[in-house]
Amino acid sequence: MGEYALLYILFAPFLGALALILVSNHQLVLVRGIAAGSAFVSLIASIYIFSAYDVNAGGFQFIQKFEWSRELGIALHLGVDGIATPLVLASSILLFTGIFVSWHIKDRTKEFYIWLLILAAATIGVFMSLDLFFLYFFYEMSVIPMYLLLGMWGSHTKQYLEMTDPDGLKLRDSVGFILNFGSNSKEYAAMKLVLFLSAFAVVALMGILLIYKYAGLNTFDILVLREQAKLLNISVLGTTLDKIIWVLIFLGFASIAPLWPLHSWSPVGHAAAPAATSMLHAGVLMKLGHFSIIRVAFEILPDTTREMMPIAAVLCIFNIMYGGFVAFYAKDTKYVIGYSSSSHMGYVFLGMAALNYISLTGAVIYMFAHAMATGMLFAMAGWVYDQTHTRDLPSLGGLSNKMPFISACFFVGCMASIGMPGTLNFIAEIMIIVGSWNKYPFQVIVAVLGIVLTLAYLFKMMRSMFYGPMSPQYSHTHDAIGVVDRLPLLIMIAVTVGFGLFPVHLYDVVRSGVNPLITRITQVVPVASKEHESFNVKRAATERPLEHDVPATSGSLTPLAPHVSRGFE
Amino acid sequence: MIFSLTLSVADLLLLLPEIFLTCWLCLIVIVDFAFPRMSKDQLAFLSVCGLAGTFACLVWFDVAHISGTVFANMFVLDRMALFFKMFIVATTTLVILVSVQYVDRFTFFRGEYYVLVVMSALGMMFMSSANDLLSLFVSLEFSTLGFYVLVGYLREDFASNEAGLKFFILGVFAAGLLAYGISLVYGETGKLVFSDMHLTATSGTIIGFLLIFAALGFKIGAVPFHSWIPDTYHGAPTPVTAFLSLAPKGAALAILLRIFFVALATFKPVWIVLLVVVSILSMTYANIVAIAQRNIKRLLAYSGIAQIGNVLIGFAAGTKMGSDAILFYLLAYLFANIGAFAVVIAVSQAIGSEEIDDYSGLNRRSPFLAFAMLLFLLSLAGVPPLAGFIGKLYIFVAAIKEGLYTLITVALINIVISMYYYLVVVKKMYINEPTDLSPVLISGSMKAVIYVGLAGTLVIGIYPQPFIDWIISATLMFSNFAAPSPIVIPPAPPLGG
Repeated sequence: MGEYALLYILFAPFLGALALILVSNHQLVLVRGIAAGSAFVSLIASIYIFSAYDVNAGGFQFIQKFEWSRELGIALHLGVDGIATPLVLASSILLFTGIFVSWHIKDRTKEFYIWLLILAAATIGVFMSLDLFFLYFFYEMSVIPMYLLLGMWGSHTKQYLEMTDPDGLKLRDSVGFILNFGSNSKEYAAMKLVLFLSAFAVVALMGILLIYKYAGLNTFDILVLREQAKLLNISVLGTTLDKIIWVLIFLGFASIAPLWPLHSWSPVGHAAAPAATSMLHAGVLMKLGHFSIIRVAFEILPDTTREMMPIAAVLCIFNIMYGGFVAFYAKDTKYVIGYSSSSHMGYVFLGMAALNYISLTGAVIYMFAHAMATGMLFAMAGWVYDQTHTRDLPSLGGLSNKMPFISACFFVGCMASIGMPGTLNFIAEIMIIVGSWNKYPFQVIVAVLGIVLTLAYLFKMMRSMFYGPMSPQYSHTHDAIGVVDRLPLLIMIAVTVGFGLFPVHLYDVVRSGVNPLITRITQVVPVASKEHESFNVKRAATERPLEHDVPATSGSLTPLAPHVSRGFE
Repeated sequence: MIFSLTLSVADLLLLLPEIFLTCWLCLIVIVDFAFPRMSKDQLAFLSVCGLAGTFACLVWFDVAHISGTVFANMFVLDRMALFFKMFIVATTTLVILVSVQYVDRFTFFRGEYYVLVVMSALGMMFMSSANDLLSLFVSLEFSTLGFYVLVGYLREDFASNEAGLKFFILGVFAAGLLAYGISLVYGETGKLVFSDMHLTATSGTIIGFLLIFAALGFKIGAVPFHSWIPDTYHGAPTPVTAFLSLAPKGAALAILLRIFFVALATFKPVWIVLLVVVSILSMTYANIVAIAQRNIKRLLAYSGIAQIGNVLIGFAAGTKMGSDAILFYLLAYLFANIGAFAVVIAVSQAIGSEEIDDYSGLNRRSPFLAFAMLLFLLSLAGVPPLAGFIGKLYIFVAAIKEGLYTLITVALINIVISMYYYLVVVKKMYINEPTDLSPVLISGSMKAVIYVGLAGTLVIGIYPQPFIDWIISATLMFSNFAAPSPIVIPPAPPLGG
């Protein structure tokens, strides 16, 4: 194991998918066994890298580099830092649990697992790519499996407009309404998702190509580009080139995050997707957006990031409030969770926009925590849908009699989503709020109101699903009894609560990734002096000292950092 | 001009692949006539053997670095010519393999079908070696002759007849343009060999080369010379469509490379504008019109026009890297396109239809065919990790180094548009339920072609370095012409230009 851990994590699902192609569709045990086995290898290896990540050394670890194309300057350069490590872990946990959640799929089981494994492997690939080309490669690769998973195993969204348009209130998903053409099918959701994501991926690709050209280094390697690319002070079209590139990268990747107003594909996609796909979609696919912005824009264009990030701080208000209100009025279980995800992604953007140690650490931890909490909720919404064949909230009710275990887990999931103390979400939320307060007090107030809103819509959903009188047509439903059905939920609860109570290692890991990044962004280096330094890139990447005691170069916010952080440890 | 036709044995060696294939062609004809009762499958096998021999010979030339010119520079054998010859021979072999079953549909002249296919291939092999305007004209007409017959091969089929007629009339018109262009250029310069021309921009040469470009644009099907493509592709027998969509494009691109990168090298700033315009028109027009198609062959026809638009980006880059990207793109296109047409033929053999609606539920009827078609279409759309993605990226990298921002922006938008219509087919195959649940059976030779297509698409996509190395050595002749321009950061780069 050891140094090759990243290769195991990345290629185990791919090899599993390859092995599944050779297996007959009728050997269900073998099919599930291969899928679960390859996901398990991936999971074990990610637990290993998470625990073996050296927080004192920091920087990129477990680096693997293979020359891929000399002429284009591409290498398969893999490595994880403190930001990527928890996200890789989240992906492999969700893949492993997702395989159990979709254990009962009867139709074309083999193909379902093939595409699920490819989807998860592609997202994992994005998290560990240190090469812009491969980052885009895996990013784009994750889109097509989504199309097939939604289209083939998804469910139709019934009366979409009625659900988001309650009595008299003309509150609609405006962008979704304009582009909806009256169609509510899963095919529509799948096509919309792919076209949206491809369209914005192409925007990001333009940004990547511009970085490649103007860096003039004939390489896509992020570690080289971040040290040597000089993209500042070239004026184009009345602004500077670095700003254009930054906006291209930001918009391109923010669409998958999803940033308001580019979000309309996301709830539709969540609703149409089968449970395991929703889990991966909400859990990790959406985080590709934040992660890629951090990896590309923050690393390569730190100075521009400092100037431009307020854009995110403005848009995140809409994310939080708009998503929250639509979730409150939605009458479809998956829409509620989907819009709640969209709303919660606003917190991550807020944490990223504040650009200090506490808030960015909070944002990264929030990504991890949200992956678990939303994964749980989607898994259980999927279970309820499988049992009752409806996601319509008004017609559900009283299910806690029939499924006490699911109902209890759902309660835990909601608590985690709200940010109850004792869950990881609490720690993340409080860090984002505390970290952003000095810079964006208004946004923080909105975020706190958003938590109240979350409380409202999740309780409302829980009440109408599990409590109150039960309609007799649901008398045949049953609880999750088998190990296979309970295991994924228990794993996710254990992770959320476990890290909620003992966050130290997770915090240290994330902090070791965030610290050098924020230091780079907040300290203003004169361009002239930057050019005279000669960098040994590899050393800079691997032996960068961890700055626990941050120098006071980074403005008034930084002294806050060490003190507050002590409070959580 | 004095032609010295003194040939030595060493000179003839350069012609060995062509001579071998010519002899083999005669052999096929003789066998066909001598044993009229022989199964035509064996004739296909014979043709494939001949092509395999030719291919082996080309590989030997490539490995042994054999190159040179004959007939007073009319015929050149360099590594680029070898690349295109291999491309053409490989395409022809695959086309013959997918034709084996299809040939049973023809009522007459089943044996001659193979003769004509191999004959066209021979013409195109000469075309990729053509180094002056005369040999260009002769070889181009030689290769088209076979196609005129092949396109109209389904005699009882109205669409096939219409396709043949359309192709013939427009083809002859293009030949007329070509001849006129050649005469103008020759009249102005007095030279025929590309590398000897020292051009000055007179109205005669400009109009002459524009006419030559129009004729070659007709061959590759670039907008605005594309009007024959949809109907001809639709009406022609499907293996012929597959052949038509690959081999002539390859041969014509070889000629275009020689014309633009050798003869017109000094006029680069001028022809870049022309190519940018043609490229934008081809991509945008074809992708938008493709959305409305209901027939898979017409869809692939428009997709082919759009792909040519992408290839022309490499020309517009006008560098060694641009030419590498073109060759690489062709390679990726070969596997995806021949594979897609193989699936189309297999499906039309089984269910007798080429309408996209009849692909409904193909995944349930034949998971293998549906999966193969999925990968081929996604490769054409440019989705990683397939060959088409690397091809597109290679072209974009070549173009962005030359600062062609507008062109790349248009191309990127077109990727999204094309994604839509490819996914509509995917939707039919995977998401829609079949009306008829009977499984789709495929023959062994068809399966072999699909496997070759899949292998090529995946291997080139996942590990392209060996192919890139090969291609770079194939276009070494252009390295003096225009090395990638040094990175100059202009004070105000025109983002719109």
